[in-house]
Amino acid sequence: MRHHIKKTALVVAAAASLVLASCSAGSSTSGGGDESPGGGATGGATGGTAGGQEASNASLSIGLVAEPANLDFTKTDGAAIPQVLLYNVYEGLVQLDQKGDIAPGLATSWTVSKDRKTYTFNLTKDAKFTNGKPFTAADAKFSIDRVKKDWTISLKSAMDVVDHAKVVSPTKLQVVLSHPSNDWLYRMTTRVGAMFSRTGVDHLATKPIGTGPYKLGKWTRGDSISLLRNNSYWGDKPYYKTVTFKYFKDPTALNNALLTGTINVIGTVQTPESLGQFENNNKYQVIEGTTNGEVVLSFNNGSGPMKNKKMRQAVRYAIDHKALLDTCWAGRGTLIGSMVPPTDPWYEDLTGLYPHDVAMAKTLLKESGEANETLRLRIPTLPYAVSCGTVVKSQLEQAGFKVKLDQLEFPAAWLSTVFTNADYDMSIIAHVEPRDMGAVFGDPKYYTRYTNPAFSNLLKQADEGTEQEQVTDMKKAAKMLSQDAAADWLFVLPNIIVADKGITGLPKNAISESFDVTGLAGS
Amino acid sequence: MVLRLLQRAGILLGSLVVSSVIVFAFMAVLPGNPARVALGVNASDAAVHEMEHEFGLDRPLVVQYLSWVKGLVTFDPGNSYVSGTAIGPQLADRLQVTLWLVVTAMALAVVVAIPVGTVMAVRHRKVSGLALSAVSQVGMAIPAFLAGILLIAVFAVKLGWLPANGWTPPAQDPVMFVKQLVLPVLSLGLVQAAVLTRYVRSAVLDVLREDYLRTARAKGLRPMRALVRHGLRNASVPVVTVLGLQLATLLIGAVVVERVFVIPGLGSLLLDSVSQRDLIMVQDVVMILVVAVLVVNFVVDLLYLVIDPRLRAGAR
Amino acid sequence: MSAQDALAVQPPGPDDLVGSAPARRRVNPSLLVGGFLVCLIVGMALVSFVWTPHDPTLVNASTRLQKPSGDYWFGTDKFGRDVFSQILVGSRTTLFVGFVAVGVAAAIGVPLGIVAGMVPRWLGELVMRGNDLLLAFPALLLAIMFAAVYGASTLVAMIAIGIATIPSFARLIRSGTLQVLGTEYVLAARAAGRGPFAIGVRHVLPNVSSLVTVQASVSFAIAVLAEAALSFLGFGTPPPTPSWGRMLQESQEMLWSAPRLAVFPGVAIAVAVLGFNLLGDGLRDRFDPKLEDRR
Repeated sequence: MRHHIKKTALVVAAAASLVLASCSAGSSTSGGGDESPGGGATGGATGGTAGGQEASNASLSIGLVAEPANLDFTKTDGAAIPQVLLYNVYEGLVQLDQKGDIAPGLATSWTVSKDRKTYTFNLTKDAKFTNGKPFTAADAKFSIDRVKKDWTISLKSAMDVVDHAKVVSPTKLQVVLSHPSNDWLYRMTTRVGAMFSRTGVDHLATKPIGTGPYKLGKWTRGDSISLLRNNSYWGDKPYYKTVTFKYFKDPTALNNALLTGTINVIGTVQTPESLGQFENNNKYQVIEGTTNGEVVLSFNNGSGPMKNKKMRQAVRYAIDHKALLDTCWAGRGTLIGSMVPPTDPWYEDLTGLYPHDVAMAKTLLKESGEANETLRLRIPTLPYAVSCGTVVKSQLEQAGFKVKLDQLEFPAAWLSTVFTNADYDMSIIAHVEPRDMGAVFGDPKYYTRYTNPAFSNLLKQADEGTEQEQVTDMKKAAKMLSQDAAADWLFVLPNIIVADKGITGLPKNAISESFDVTGLAGS
Repeated sequence: MVLRLLQRAGILLGSLVVSSVIVFAFMAVLPGNPARVALGVNASDAAVHEMEHEFGLDRPLVVQYLSWVKGLVTFDPGNSYVSGTAIGPQLADRLQVTLWLVVTAMALAVVVAIPVGTVMAVRHRKVSGLALSAVSQVGMAIPAFLAGILLIAVFAVKLGWLPANGWTPPAQDPVMFVKQLVLPVLSLGLVQAAVLTRYVRSAVLDVLREDYLRTARAKGLRPMRALVRHGLRNASVPVVTVLGLQLATLLIGAVVVERVFVIPGLGSLLLDSVSQRDLIMVQDVVMILVVAVLVVNFVVDLLYLVIDPRLRAGAR
Repeated sequence: MSAQDALAVQPPGPDDLVGSAPARRRVNPSLLVGGFLVCLIVGMALVSFVWTPHDPTLVNASTRLQKPSGDYWFGTDKFGRDVFSQILVGSRTTLFVGFVAVGVAAAIGVPLGIVAGMVPRWLGELVMRGNDLLLAFPALLLAIMFAAVYGASTLVAMIAIGIATIPSFARLIRSGTLQVLGTEYVLAARAAGRGPFAIGVRHVLPNVSSLVTVQASVSFAIAVLAEAALSFLGFGTPPPTPSWGRMLQESQEMLWSAPRLAVFPGVAIAVAVLGFNLLGDGLRDRFDPKLEDRR
């Protein structure tokens, strides 16, 4: 899958440890023509101490909702695996910093050729895999080639643009793209760019081997995954000796675990209504930021009543987004008008395109000639979807629509009915993948069944153009999508973290795929 | 006696075979292709086919069934579709957790229900008996998970006496193990105790009506003594039946309490595997539950023979 | 049981010991309280068809999480929906749940039990073995499996629970049937040349109907509890149909800020279960005190 949808529907994360590096590497891809140096003089992960703290013997326990089925994200989809492993166990050549900029990882710097097709990475010579092997350019080439060859998840298509990778020297790697792509380097910060050992990919499902500051400790299935500090890590050692991710199917149990001291951090709050009990308690800190998770009221653009643009527009007018956010997610989150979260460079507030206007909705509904159709709103059994589904149904009915709400077991039943077979009129799902506008609406075979060549062309232009062109074109694309009412965007999920007071380095915004624990520290 | 035993064992065996067929057939109609779920929906058909082949899902159903049964019988159920890891050790772990929970809860239920139920029967016309009766009725009316939520709210969150949830293996930290076990066992056990007291009461009431107890009383024994000396054995027959049935319900009924208290037992494994379409795992978990129930029934049957002299006589 | 035993009149015993005097004439408190509670639930359901103070499914952001008041008797939930109206309409779900589950169980279990009692003994035993096999699939397990196949819905869950309840009906009815078949009037009917079908319908069924009523009442209570548990796990009644089980589940995250949201559905469930359990007990005592051990 291009995007991933997971129980939490949140990729909570951020590269908190690399705040220092981000300053020096901010504009590494601004290749307007000259070969632009990427990265600072020093590599990101070697600059400064993680979180400004010395390594300690302390341990930390983080509560999450969705447990990975296995640990191999090259073959198994879902946000839960990279959440734990990326940046903690696996590192990429580059990674995303807290501001959303591309920062050095295993590559201390890089240059982009004039035609913006050749990337030359200077790699650290200090990194070692946890199987004892040193990290070299050959491993990097192996990892990049392996995406095309052995990965099975659909995200691997991010690597399609790569023509070939070449080992120049053990610390120098050249990657040649078949056409210029703004997106490619960005995708290298995600799981697709994770670096594997040439001799360490035999048991990925149970024994991940990376270069990161942590290595896998113990995985108690159905309960927890613990990470141990990698004492031979090439960069600065993280503060916590062990970090345990504990999994709670029931969000209330997750809250109780923090209240009774079983865990120290709630990684993703799933019950925004319950925040009061933490906000009014000076033992805890509540961090609220934003994520990449657009909660989308998706339409079947390909067939059925929602193929009719007037119907889609009518639905968009009928939804009172402010009221929806207040009731469905306790007013936490950000309203958006298109498939761009506020943290992306091409974000624009498009909520004004379809203001709440019941009269307009009724008129359009009548004009559409589909007013007698019963819309099948088929939602997955996920907390936000069930909650929002209730509100959407009620609001649509107040505007004269006929709506039938079906709840489909997530993931299996929802995936096969809505996602694979597109047997639905409307659904609600959070698309949590970063920069997923193209993935969700650019492919006519995707479950949204949205076909618009002009839109696809814009995306292509954006990818191949300059950085400035990319921003302009993406803005245009987002607006086109919104005006065409390809879907309705309910809101962007907030990143809400609750933690014991005194834990520092928790990210405000969750914009990468990783729950990066390397920069966390205690006091 | 031996004949009866053999007959029972035969029934057990037959039941096991039939139920394994039912379970397998059921899984075969479950919608959602496990290979596709494992790979993600956008995976190519070729990749799905390859994985199906790897799992052996492309073989004829009969072959799949036989190899599944073989795996079960040899205690080597193979690897999970989803995690790729061996199923056997996982099942053993989870079963152990659930057994701790269920057996402890059952023990609690029995310890509470037998004296309380007996008192309720003996004093069934008195205020104390009626009051106990009313309490047990209310206890039966409360869903176990609600009891769990309330217990957590009071004893864990409010008072902070016990952890709200979690599970620690006894070998790792016995103190924590006990602490974490208290609340789930209470919520599971007390509700069961309420149910069980009703049966104990009614069984004891029946025994109290029997002639030999009248005789004993006529000889001057006080009702309680007469009952303890002569009646409990007979009263235990229906109670054992109910215990067996309850144990069966509890094995799966624990799933809700496992969810409330975040206990990695068999029930939560079942729910996870169902949602991940880890069919072989689902099959194995369901089969374990079914086997457990059938074995419990078998044991109950044997217990009858031991407890009830009339049955023993009738068997000849 | 010998004929002598059967004919023996129970001697009056000391009241505190045996309770031999069945509360036939006396007011039976279980029956009274149970009947009242069940009538209350049924009454609520009937009222909800013609009147609710507010639309129970109308989401309204401006009235969310209100405390109980003259306008909203039980307050409102996080969607701004009136809790009292939901409780009223939720009683329909509860009754639906019970009727479907008990209906399925009785429709299959009763005939099965009667037939198993009337056919030759070995065949009856065989049927009972199959019946026991079904017992090995507890209600919750079946419901989860069914939900996986057919998707979560009230009906699917309740059919599963109904199927899992078949064995208790069949077992009970078979033993009742065996008892009825031994009575003199059935022997007389046989002697008069009545066929087995006629005997089954004319003599056995009416005589076991009291057993059916008792068992139905108890199973009803179990089904209500099961719906609550399934809703908690997310396999129960899908939104927005008001259901007490789901209301309870939804209220969890606000247990601290608005405990009333858990109290009302929790009490409603407990009242329904208590009502049907008591009704079952009361009916059992009324029909035949000696049936008490046959559950």
